[in-house]
Amino acid sequence: MIATVFPLVGRRLLSSVAILLIVSMLLFVVLHVLPVDPAAMSLPPTATLADIEAMRREMGLDQPLPNQYMIWLAKVIQGDFGASIHFRRGVLGLVADTLPATVELAVLAMMIASALGIVGGLVLFHVRGSRKEPVVDFGSIMLLSIPEFLWSLFFILIFGVALHWLPFTGRLDPDLRVPAGTGFLLFDALMAGRLDIFFSAARHMILPSFALGIAFSPTIMRVLRSSLIDVYQEDYIHLARLRGLSERRILLGHALKNAILPTLSLMGVQFGFLFGGTLLVEVIYSYPGLGNLMVDAVRNADLPIIQAVGLAYCAVVLIINTVVDSLYMVLNPKLRLR
Amino acid sequence: MDMLIAKNLGVSAALPDGSVPVIQELNFSLPQGKVLGLVGESGAGKSMIGRTIAQLLPPGFSVTAGELMFDGQDLVRMPAETRRELLGREIAFIPQEPLSGLNPVLTIGRQIDEHLARLGIGNARARRDHALGMLNDVHLSHGADLLDKYPHQLSGGMCQRVLIAMAFASRPKLLVADEPTTALDVTIQARIVQLIAEMQERDGTSVVFITHDLRLAAQVCDNILVLYAGRPAEYGPARSVFAQPAHPYTRCLQLSNPAMSGPRRALYALPERMPGLSAIKGIEGCLFAPRCPKVVPECTRALPPFVDVADGQVAACIRPETTATIAAPALSASDAPQAGVPLLEVRGLTKTFRIGGGLFRNRAFTAVKDVSFTLHQNEFIGIVGESGSGKSTVARMLCGLERPTEGEFEIDGREVSDGSTSSRAHLRAHVQMVFQDPQSALNPRRRIASIVTQAMEAAGGTSGKERLERAEALLLEIGLPPDAARRFPTQLSGGQRQRVNIARALCVAPNILIADEIVSGLDVSVQAQLLNLLMQLRRKRGFSMLFISHDLSVVRYLCDRMLVMYRGEVVESGPTDRIFAAPSHPYTRTLLAAVPPDDPSAVWSPQPLETDVVAPADMLQEANV
Repeated sequence: MIATVFPLVGRRLLSSVAILLIVSMLLFVVLHVLPVDPAAMSLPPTATLADIEAMRREMGLDQPLPNQYMIWLAKVIQGDFGASIHFRRGVLGLVADTLPATVELAVLAMMIASALGIVGGLVLFHVRGSRKEPVVDFGSIMLLSIPEFLWSLFFILIFGVALHWLPFTGRLDPDLRVPAGTGFLLFDALMAGRLDIFFSAARHMILPSFALGIAFSPTIMRVLRSSLIDVYQEDYIHLARLRGLSERRILLGHALKNAILPTLSLMGVQFGFLFGGTLLVEVIYSYPGLGNLMVDAVRNADLPIIQAVGLAYCAVVLIINTVVDSLYMVLNPKLRLR
Repeated sequence: MDMLIAKNLGVSAALPDGSVPVIQELNFSLPQGKVLGLVGESGAGKSMIGRTIAQLLPPGFSVTAGELMFDGQDLVRMPAETRRELLGREIAFIPQEPLSGLNPVLTIGRQIDEHLARLGIGNARARRDHALGMLNDVHLSHGADLLDKYPHQLSGGMCQRVLIAMAFASRPKLLVADEPTTALDVTIQARIVQLIAEMQERDGTSVVFITHDLRLAAQVCDNILVLYAGRPAEYGPARSVFAQPAHPYTRCLQLSNPAMSGPRRALYALPERMPGLSAIKGIEGCLFAPRCPKVVPECTRALPPFVDVADGQVAACIRPETTATIAAPALSASDAPQAGVPLLEVRGLTKTFRIGGGLFRNRAFTAVKDVSFTLHQNEFIGIVGESGSGKSTVARMLCGLERPTEGEFEIDGREVSDGSTSSRAHLRAHVQMVFQDPQSALNPRRRIASIVTQAMEAAGGTSGKERLERAEALLLEIGLPPDAARRFPTQLSGGQRQRVNIARALCVAPNILIADEIVSGLDVSVQAQLLNLLMQLRRKRGFSMLFISHDLSVVRYLCDRMLVMYRGEVVESGPTDRIFAAPSHPYTRTLLAAVPPDDPSAVWSPQPLETDVVAPADMLQEANV
C-alpha cells in the first residue's frame, strides 16, 4: 500500500514546496504594500524619526522588496520566522503553540461532518421516492443554508447559556493546567494519564466542533446520495440482486464502496474550507488556536505572524489534500499502479 | 419435466395515461436440460421476461395476468423472501455486459467468495478451493492470480467466464442468459456459447437464452420464441422456425440480416421501427400490421390468434401461408463494384503508443504496424478485426485525429500525413468520419440543422438560411423528413440519429467516408435500412468508404474488398467474395468459423483461439487500445 501511494506523495511534496513559495511571495508583497511601518511599530512612541530610520536599516526595510524577500526566505529556511512585534516572542513558538489546537478542532469537526454526512446521505438515499422524501430533503437544504458561525451562536445560546450543559469558552476549565507535550490536548492528557483534563478538553471541544461539523455535513450528504443513486443504476447492483443478495448487503457491501469515492474527493475539498472556517468559530468560542492568533496579529498589524500563520493554513490544507488523495488511490483500484 | 412454464403471462406498465401491456399472452414451456431462445429486437420485451422471472421489474411494472411456474412453484405469487432464496441458488443469471456486471472496487476473489458464502460454504479456505475449481471449470488458467485481480484488469471474455463460473457455482436448475455474448468479439462469443453449453450439459440446467441474433439462436436453442412488441409472434422448434418461418416478422428479420454464404442478396429493410410502449395502444389489431409487407385489412381488426402451422410450431398470424412469399428486393446491377481511380493510398502506416505513467516504466505498444492499401473511387473497403486489432487507430490516423509514427498516406494525389495546416485542410475537404455512437457524437444542445451543417458553419461565409436549406436537403437525402432539422438529437430514435451522423459527414461532399462500427449498436431491421441507404447514396452521389466493423456478414454485404487485421497487422486482404470463399490466413479462417452458419443444420465448429485467456502483459495492451 505504501508503494502504491509513494509516487503520489513524492509528487505532491514537490508541488507543495512550489505552492508554499508562491503563497509566501504573495503574502510578502501584499503585506509590504500595506501602509504599515513595522519599524515604527516596534519602537516606543517616544522614538525619533532618526531612531525609526536606524531601525528600518537594521530590519532591512530600506532594501528593495526582492532583496527583503530573499533575506526573509533565507531565515525561514533556517527555521527563523522572525519575532512577533506585538507579543515580543518568536513567531515559530507562537504558531507551534496554537496550530495543534486548531488542527485538533478541525480534525474532530471533519470526523463529525463525515459521520453526519454519511449517515445523512444514507437516510436521504433511503427515503428517495417515498412520502418522507420532501421532508428529509427540506431538512438537508436547511442544514445547507446555515453557516458555521450561526450554528456556533445557536449552540452557545441553547447548550451554554440556557441549559448550562457545556462550556463555550477556551480549551480547558480555568483550574486545570495544560500538560506539556505535543499541543494536541486530548492526546497529551491521555499520555499524562489525566482523565480529568481529557474530559474537560473534550467538553470544551464539543460545541465548536459540532458547529463546524454540522455546517459542513450537508454537502457530503447530498453528494453521497446522488452518487448512490448513480451506482444503483449499474449492472453489478442489478446482478447482485439477481444473485439473491439482501438489499442491506448490496448497499453496504457493494454500493457504498463505490459511492464513497466521489464523496471522498469532495471531503478533501471540504476540509480546506472547514480549516478556514475554524477562524470564525475560534473567535466566537475564544478558542486559543491559529484563528485567534491570526485575528490578534491582523489587529496589531503584526506582519511576521500574519505571514507565518498564512503559510501554516496553506501547508495544512496541502497536507490534508495529499492524505485524502492517497486514501482515494488506496480505495479505488483503477488508480493503483498496475 | 418442465422447469419453467409461462401460462398466458401478461406484464403491464403504468403510464400517466393508463396501463400499457409490456408482455402479453406469453406461453411456453421449457423442459429440463433444454434451451429456449427468446428472440427479437430491442423493445420486443425479451429482457423484460428475464426480469419477470426474477420479479425485479422496473417501478410501475407488474404482472397482470397468467402465471409463471418454476419447478412447480409460482414465481409471481410466492413471497419475495422465498423468491430471493431461489435467486443465485436455483435460478442463475448471466448478464449482457460482463465488464459492468462485476463490482469495480472489489477483487474477483471477494465477489466469488461472497457468492459462495451465501450458498452456505462456511469456511474461507473451502470457499477459496471451491473458487479455484470453478475458475478451472470455465477454462480460466492462473486462477490463483485471478482471484486477486480487479475486473478492469481482465478482458470482457474473462469477466464473462468469471460470471458464468459464479452462475453455475450452485448447479442451478434454470439459467437466464441475457444477450451474454453481444458485447464480445465473434471468436470469444463462440467460445462463451460453447462454455455455457458445456456447463449446462454438466449440470442438466435449463436455459433461457435471450438474443437479438436469430442465427445464433437457431444454433444454440432447442426452441425459439420470437417476440414482437411484447407479444409472441412465433414459437416452435429452433430449426423449423429458422428454416420455415411462419410469421412475417421472423421472415423479415431473417431477410434483413446479411448472409454469410451463398450469392449476395439485397437486404429486406422493414420500414420504421417497433412501436414503443406509448405507441402500442394506438395500434388496432396485429401489432406488426403497420410494418408488415403482407398486411390485409383483416389484420387490423383484432389481435391475431396463435395458429398451429407445423408440428409444435405456432404463429400469431392470420395468413401464415403468405410468409414464404416475402422476398428481398434484387440487388441492382449498379451495386456491383465499379473500379475507379485510386483516391487514398496508404503506405506503411504504423502507430506506436507510449504506455505506463512513471519515469522508468515507459514502454512502447505498437497498435498499428505497417498497414498499406489503396482505396479507389466508389469503392467500399471493409476492415475487420477484433477489439484491440488496431482498426479504429487506422481510422483515427486517416482522419487526422492521430499522427502516424511511421508511414504516410496520399489523398487524391497529395501527401497529407505531414500534419501541416494545408494538409489538414485538404484532408478535411476529402475525408469525413462517421462515429460509432450517435448518442455521444451528436451535441444534445444543438438542433439537427446546426449539427448537420457544422462543417459549413466552421468554414464561414454562409448565412443561417443557406445552411438550413442545405440541412433540409441533406435530411431528405438520408431519408428523414426535412422538419427534423428543427429538432434536437434526443427527439430522434437511435437509427435516425445515426442517419443524422451520416448526413453531417456528407455535408461537405467528401470523397471518402470513414465509418467506425456505425451499425453495431442498432437492431437488424434498422441496420438493414442504413446499409441500404449507404448503397443508395453511393449510387446517387458516388463516394468511397472505409467501413470498420467486427460484423463479418455486414462487411460481406457492403464491401467490395476487405482487410483483416490482427494485433495491429493486416493479415489478409483482397476482394470480399474471394476471402469469404477461400480464406488463406489461419486467423481469417478462425474468424469466419466463429460466426454461426446460415444453415442451422450445418455443424458450427468454431476453432479455439485463446484471445480471451490472455497473459497479464496482454491485458494491459488490450485495456489501452
